[in-house]
Amino acid sequence: MDSTLLALALVDLNESEVLKLVKEKIDSGADPATIIKELQDGISIFGERYKSGNYFIGDLILSGELFNQSMKLLEPLLVNNRKVQGDLTKMVLGTVKGDIHNLGKDILAVLLKASGFEVYDLGINIEPGAFVSKLTETGASILGLSGLITPSFESMKETVAAVEAAGLRKKVKIIIGGGVVDDLVREYTGADAFSTDAMEGIKLCKRLAREVRHD
Amino acid sequence: MIKETMTREQRLLAAVTHGKVDRIPVSSMFDDFALRQKGLPRQFGGDAEYTARVLQAYHEVYDDLGGYDFQWHAGPGFSYSSWHGCMDMVVNSVPGKEGAVMPEREVLTQEDYDKIINLGWNGFCREFYTRVSGLSIGQIDEMQKKQFSIMQEDRKWWEERGVPILIGGMTMNCEMILSLGRTLTELTLDIYRQPDKIRAVIEAMVGDCIANTLRNARATGIPWANILLARGSSTFYNIPTFERFVFPSIKKMVEAFVKAGLFVNMHLDTNWILNLPYFKEFPKNKCMVELDSTTDILKAKEILSGHVCIKGDVPATMLSLGKPEDVSAYCRKLIDVIGVGGGFILSTGCTCPVDAKYENVKAMVETAKNYYPH
Repeated sequence: MDSTLLALALVDLNESEVLKLVKEKIDSGADPATIIKELQDGISIFGERYKSGNYFIGDLILSGELFNQSMKLLEPLLVNNRKVQGDLTKMVLGTVKGDIHNLGKDILAVLLKASGFEVYDLGINIEPGAFVSKLTETGASILGLSGLITPSFESMKETVAAVEAAGLRKKVKIIIGGGVVDDLVREYTGADAFSTDAMEGIKLCKRLAREVRHD
Repeated sequence: MIKETMTREQRLLAAVTHGKVDRIPVSSMFDDFALRQKGLPRQFGGDAEYTARVLQAYHEVYDDLGGYDFQWHAGPGFSYSSWHGCMDMVVNSVPGKEGAVMPEREVLTQEDYDKIINLGWNGFCREFYTRVSGLSIGQIDEMQKKQFSIMQEDRKWWEERGVPILIGGMTMNCEMILSLGRTLTELTLDIYRQPDKIRAVIEAMVGDCIANTLRNARATGIPWANILLARGSSTFYNIPTFERFVFPSIKKMVEAFVKAGLFVNMHLDTNWILNLPYFKEFPKNKCMVELDSTTDILKAKEILSGHVCIKGDVPATMLSLGKPEDVSAYCRKLIDVIGVGGGFILSTGCTCPVDAKYENVKAMVETAKNYYPH
């Protein structure tokens, strides 16, 4: 079986083909880590094409759905599979206090998982203290703060301050995201990076993960 | 201050029809901003006393800003949410900065699709509104009558000052209603997995959406229909999907509204740049698009120039975090470039942010009143 077929089926958003290929690979005894790698390759190719402007949020939603469905098929094989559970970058994610928008955050969460991150998605309307607790509990090195409305800027700023007050700031890189954030907001909140776009967000999270490792 | 030679109504009409204006018209949807300025928390469906305070806040902010050229709606607006039942609005909880937001919550099911196809949108809504709101049809009808009466009463305040109202009738595009009801994720998967069903649902909805909007416009006598378009843009979908599931119902709506003698305002959230060429199919000098600063307004001008009026688009971030001089500079640039040849109205991108700095909003309004090089 051509190992790129699965990746390409995902890039083509061909739902029936993706699921058929994953099932065939499972039945033939393929290593689940290899299957996940192929799916991740598909997401990666997808990301490159997204940057070119040929794909849209609807396509991101579909690609995430295909990845999730594939992972459900793989789930029984993943229990105690250290090869798969190995060296993932941990990231805490949530929509900040006072904001309940979840759309962009949810898309990002799926794509982060599909890109090799271990994501702790706290949900919406999250207090600064809850972010700090989760960072402490998990040892995550990246924090993603989402918000769509302008009042969320203040909550993002409070959360960054809370991370600082907890003594975690040097160990944690912080990225903010949402439809209206820009460099002015990044500077105001004290975050390390910002993104208005899920695929660019993935790229930035990978960059931040590398920076954390090198610090 | 530029010497004004037109009434506000004449100025608005001239902008929409690409005629000559004495200065660029300026306005926004100031609801949440006005309430915060007057220390009034946002509530939905408040009592008569609260409603009176809301209207007073809107009026006072109008006066504080030295007036602007039109009011988006009469009445309290979002405070009475008797729009489509699927617009499940809640209030964000940032203390002192409360505003209206729409949660992604699934209130329409896949089983509802067949009901809509069989009953039409209005027939389906008899059941749907009661299911979502928990109110009886009688209570909903009563609420809508009350809302209409408050709006008509409030119109007098604006009309005494010569301020036109922009909303006569209003609808969302069909795919946006479905997206808010199903959630964006579920509707997107439905479009992918059962495209013919979704097209049939939209086809079953559009006639009722048009009829409802026309009825409201006739009842108010305000010659404007508004279409809310926040989910169907090239931010979300590719062009073939737009052509099949988004544009046909917009086109039917616009054509019906214009045929009925109305102007059409389309509120475009997110990035519509790839979709705007289709808007040239609409009748010339009858339509306006409100851009939220995500769509490149300079490119929008290139595409729509002389055909569709553009309203926008001071960015929310600039209004909340920037300085008055930044806002003034941005507004002057818009007037310089987008104002050429008419067909431009200065405004915030989307609604005025609840936490916009007063001096920034004032700077926007003042720039329109003091700067017109054309």
